[in-house]
This record gives sequence, structure tokens and C-alpha cells, in this order.
Amino acid sequence: MGKREGIDTVMGRFVHIVIPAYNEAAVLADVVREVQAAGEYTIIVVDDGSRDATFNTARSLDNVIALRHKLNRGKGAATKTGIVAANRLGADIIVTMDGDGQHDPSDIEALIAPIRTGECDVVLGTRPKVKGEMPFIKIIANKIGNIVTWLLYGIHVSDSQSGFRAYSHFAATIIDTKADKYEYDSKVIREINNNRLRFTEVPIKVRYTDYSMGKPQKQGFINGIKTLVRMIWGMLV
Amino acid sequence: MKIHLYQIIIICISSVMLFQGAKEFFKRETGQTFLKFAVRVVVWGGMGLVAVYPNSTMHFAKLIGIEGNINAVILTGFLLVFLLIFKLLSAIEKIEQNISELTRKEALSHLPEQTPIDRNTDDGQ
Repeated sequence: MGKREGIDTVMGRFVHIVIPAYNEAAVLADVVREVQAAGEYTIIVVDDGSRDATFNTARSLDNVIALRHKLNRGKGAATKTGIVAANRLGADIIVTMDGDGQHDPSDIEALIAPIRTGECDVVLGTRPKVKGEMPFIKIIANKIGNIVTWLLYGIHVSDSQSGFRAYSHFAATIIDTKADKYEYDSKVIREINNNRLRFTEVPIKVRYTDYSMGKPQKQGFINGIKTLVRMIWGMLV
Repeated sequence: MKIHLYQIIIICISSVMLFQGAKEFFKRETGQTFLKFAVRVVVWGGMGLVAVYPNSTMHFAKLIGIEGNINAVILTGFLLVFLLIFKLLSAIEKIEQNISELTRKEALSHLPEQTPIDRNTDDGQ
């Protein structure tokens, strides 16, 4: 852990929020403002080669570091870029969250609390898997994803696909995966296991809106199958 | 015991693939898991086994119901196709990773300079 642990991190000064975004111009400004209202964080938005005005929107916002992938490389690649950037900027704690507004920034404090107290290196936000709070098809897909992650990577977690996570500086430095797409989230579980990182799971709220459920790049059924195939194929080649 | 050319070739290829897999696994290189290593051992070890003991294919042929020397042709074809797919996908994966890394470096080159980094460790990524 860094020298500033217990001093600046308590003030939230070196908590960096990484928001990977692809074609999220419609909601990105609201998402960023919500995060800013939730606490004093450094916000890094990584536009993953969007075709809309996502990057210009991010750049126009106050106190936001906007980075852009010139090519669309996937959510995992954008998240990793944001984490590397946060590390270079001296982040003590890094939180990753989706850019479509489905994560509630008021959960950030609960998410980073176990890292602040030094209990663990990684905190995984877990979405409620209750019918009514999460679409039924997502509950099934999530359970399948958890089982596959457990079989392939050796740790059973409640939500292997959640993008709302917090990492200590140490964890963010040591976790190294080349996964570019949605399998990134599962590969992080593998890294936790391989590197013997301490982790815990914290319940988070999730807001499924027409926007987040309707966008084509979401982790839907087809993308879920693709992710599954990539995870299995990654074991073979 | 007469040794055929195909047996030598298959044993050589299998040995190289097994050696590479074992080296990557025991050096704990990124992405090398026990399951991946086990798959390598089963696939390439199986190839080597068939090359060393060709009669084992007869048992397999009986099991799946194929008879005759066509086994050798199928085995050779399968080996070549498998090798090609392995190499092709590895190359594609490597290119994809390089593209992502280049894209990341370009994006990070615009990262604003901010001073207060007081760490002994680098980000290492």
C-alpha cells in the first residue's frame, strides 16, 4: 500500500473512479455529475472508440480526465486503460463502474471501505439477484457465468460479471489480464486467485433502465455466449 | 520394431508443444492455468501416445466403429489442422493484444501531467 494510506485516502482525495464508456453520450454527463455529487473523487472517463459524442461530452465536463481509444477495443481494454491511468496519477484506491448509469455512486463509499481499513485488496460489487430487482434472464446468465468462472478460474463469487469494483493500488498494479471484452471481469477473478489477493463482496444497488437494457453493446444473451466461448477458448490457445 | 516417418514427426511436434506448455505453466506466465496445461497434455500427449503405440488406434477405431487404415490419414489430417488452428488463433490473439496495447499507449499519451505521486513502485502494466 502507498505511503499516503490512512491520510489522504480518508479524505477521498486519491480515490479514482474509472468509467469505461462506449456510445454513452446520452447519459454520461448525468453519470459523472452523480459521481461528483457522491464524493470528492478523481474521475477518469475512457471513451472506447465511440461513434457518438461520448468523448466530447467527457471532455466538456469539469474535473474529469477524458481519455480516448481511437479504436473500439472492448470494455475490458477500456477499463484497463483507466486503471493504468489512475495508477500513473497516484491513485490509492481505484473504483471501476459502468458508464450507462446502472451503478449507484452512493455505493462507492461502501465499496472502498474494506480497502481503506486494509481488510482486503479487491472489493467486488454484487448485484441483487432477486426476481423483480434483476431481470430473470440476467439472473440465469449470471449464475452460469459464476459457475463457468469457478470452473475455469477456481474461485466462486456471487457476481463474476459485475463491473462495479474497487481495487487497492497494490491490486491494481499486480492484476494483469489481456482480456479486452466482457470476459475481463471474470479474468480479474483469475488474477485474484493466481496472485492470492484478499477480496470481499459487497452488495450494491443496480438500476436497470430502458436505456441500459436497450443498448446494443450490453452484455446480452448473444454477447454472453461470445464471452463464454472466449473464456473457454482462452484456456485452449 | 519398424519406425515410420509420421511417428517421428508427430512425436517431435508433440514433444515441442508439451515442452512449451510445461515451460509456460511452471514459469507461471500470464494466462497459463492448470486446466490449460492439462488440455495440452491430453491433446498433445494423446497424439504422441498414438504415434508411439499405433495399435491403440485400433481400440479407438473399434470403439467409434471405424475400421481400416483410414485412421492414419485422419490422424495426420487432424494433427495438421489442429496445429494450424492453434498457430493461427495464437497469432490473431497476439495481434489483437498488440492493437489494444497500441491503442492504450496512444490514449495514455494524452494523460495530463499531475505531480503528487510519491510512490516507490511503478504501475507495472
